[in-house]
Amino acid sequence: MLKQNMVSPVGDILKFLSILMLLVITVISQPTFAAVEGEPEGVIMKNPGADLWREVRQRNIAIEGISQIKSVDSGILINPEADRWTRFRVDQLVNYAAIILAGLALLLLVFYLLRGKIKVEGGLSRQMLHRFSDYERVLHWTLAIVFLFLAITGLTLLLGRTFLIPLFGQEFFSLLASSSKEGHNLFGPIFFASLIMMILRFVKRNIYEKGDLTWLVKGGGIIGKSHVSGGFFNMGEKTWYWIVILIGLLISVSGLILVSPNFGQGRVIMELSHIVHVISAIILIAVSFGHMYLGSVGTEGALESMKTGYVDVNWAESHHDRWAKECRDNNRVISADKFNRLQGKINSGTEESGSVAVEGNK
Amino acid sequence: MATFIDGFLWYFALAVFVIGVSGNLVTIILASRKVDLSVPRDSAFSGALRTLFSRFLPDQHMLSRIGIQVVAGYMFHLGLFILLFFAAPHVAFLEENILGFGWTAAPHWLFIVASQFAFLGIIMLWLYRMTNSVSRLISKLDDHVATILTFLVMLSGCLALLESFETLRLLHRFLVELLLIYFPFSRLMHAFTFVPSRLFTGAWFGRRGVDS
Repeated sequence: MLKQNMVSPVGDILKFLSILMLLVITVISQPTFAAVEGEPEGVIMKNPGADLWREVRQRNIAIEGISQIKSVDSGILINPEADRWTRFRVDQLVNYAAIILAGLALLLLVFYLLRGKIKVEGGLSRQMLHRFSDYERVLHWTLAIVFLFLAITGLTLLLGRTFLIPLFGQEFFSLLASSSKEGHNLFGPIFFASLIMMILRFVKRNIYEKGDLTWLVKGGGIIGKSHVSGGFFNMGEKTWYWIVILIGLLISVSGLILVSPNFGQGRVIMELSHIVHVISAIILIAVSFGHMYLGSVGTEGALESMKTGYVDVNWAESHHDRWAKECRDNNRVISADKFNRLQGKINSGTEESGSVAVEGNK
Repeated sequence: MATFIDGFLWYFALAVFVIGVSGNLVTIILASRKVDLSVPRDSAFSGALRTLFSRFLPDQHMLSRIGIQVVAGYMFHLGLFILLFFAAPHVAFLEENILGFGWTAAPHWLFIVASQFAFLGIIMLWLYRMTNSVSRLISKLDDHVATILTFLVMLSGCLALLESFETLRLLHRFLVELLLIYFPFSRLMHAFTFVPSRLFTGAWFGRRGVDS
């Protein structure tokens, strides 16, 4: 029996009687229902349970009732908020997420076709600077791998019903969705842990400083040909870092609320967390497209820093001139030969002096 | 397919694993060694025991250079140990199919935390192998195959956690069987050989009075 807190006892009794009456009508109507089976087609029969459930639902807000189960929201039989959340998810989140991600990927493709790879000014110098330690690269790639796994499984859960079922069918998608959910829940906390390690390691070098604004005004050198000054991390990289950290934390906290529903959070908090989680994740995935583009095919020499830990001096001069000057002043420039030896890419006596080996180990 | 994976392939993999591992260990133990005629300065036995346990701790002088391997290594190995021997489905499987007795399984939350530690550990260890130039140079194809196979076994197991899909269970079991077949021929043998290796080294040093 439902009990509305705001009405008088008379109202309660009336409501109880009306529900009871509906129940009786429902039961009595069964033989009638059977009797009309033989009737000619075209006779519209009213669902005998419709009035009952309409009464149970009563109005457009969640009504707290009494239940033997003592837990959060256990007294609410029907939660109309969930309908609104479902409609928002299906009608807007799914569609906009797909449009934003596909649109951005297309935009980057068009940009690449128009602008091409951003070349290093003056070409590669064959002199190298050490930029990232092994630990820093391990951290970066750990976060990247976990992020990609979560993005793929998350998008499967969000968009799969709309886009994958027509391709693979319901049976395969149910298997895919189940494993995506398990994998997503499992790897979520690993992303959070990686994020914390990322904060501890890189936060000091990502605090904004004088000169960063100039970089922003000049569009980071992507727009136009003018040189832009930058330190160890330029304004664009710092902004990407803070986007990863802040939105990553938002995703992590909302994800932890979703994955641990036994800490007293009700349905409304779960629904809000889900919306925050999805919107934040879509933003991060969208911005990560730009990071992946600029860090690989978009900029010559950028990927080397995360592959080998070293960058070409001219690349550093182009994108991080203040840091490059600091390295030069401290005699931290190494030759291509030394770089190749450090990378184990030289067979003694056979190397061509002065060229950087780009292939893997012999 | 299910009959093959649950039947023939399972028994074949188990036989290869048991015979291969036993054969390797027997070969190592029975390998001929030169007789040491020198006068012992200290007990070989105590040296062997000391080294067996002392090598669990990293060398203090090397700690700053091998921090990732130590931390990630412990995360992975301890996590994997809990997954392997204390995951409820594994305990039930071992009891029903191999041992005939069981033990208390880890609670679900511990299983999840252990698997997260194991995943983070194995990812970081493999990335270190790829990013550090020395580790990359001394790594063979075997190391990468063993890592990827172990990762896939762990991943398929965790994806099949709901136990709702027969396909996922079969995929996990198939990957386990591949790992069992591959195990004796790879560096995964270190799971067994680390004990005789440490004992031998410790005894050798112990006999010469070296505190190793």
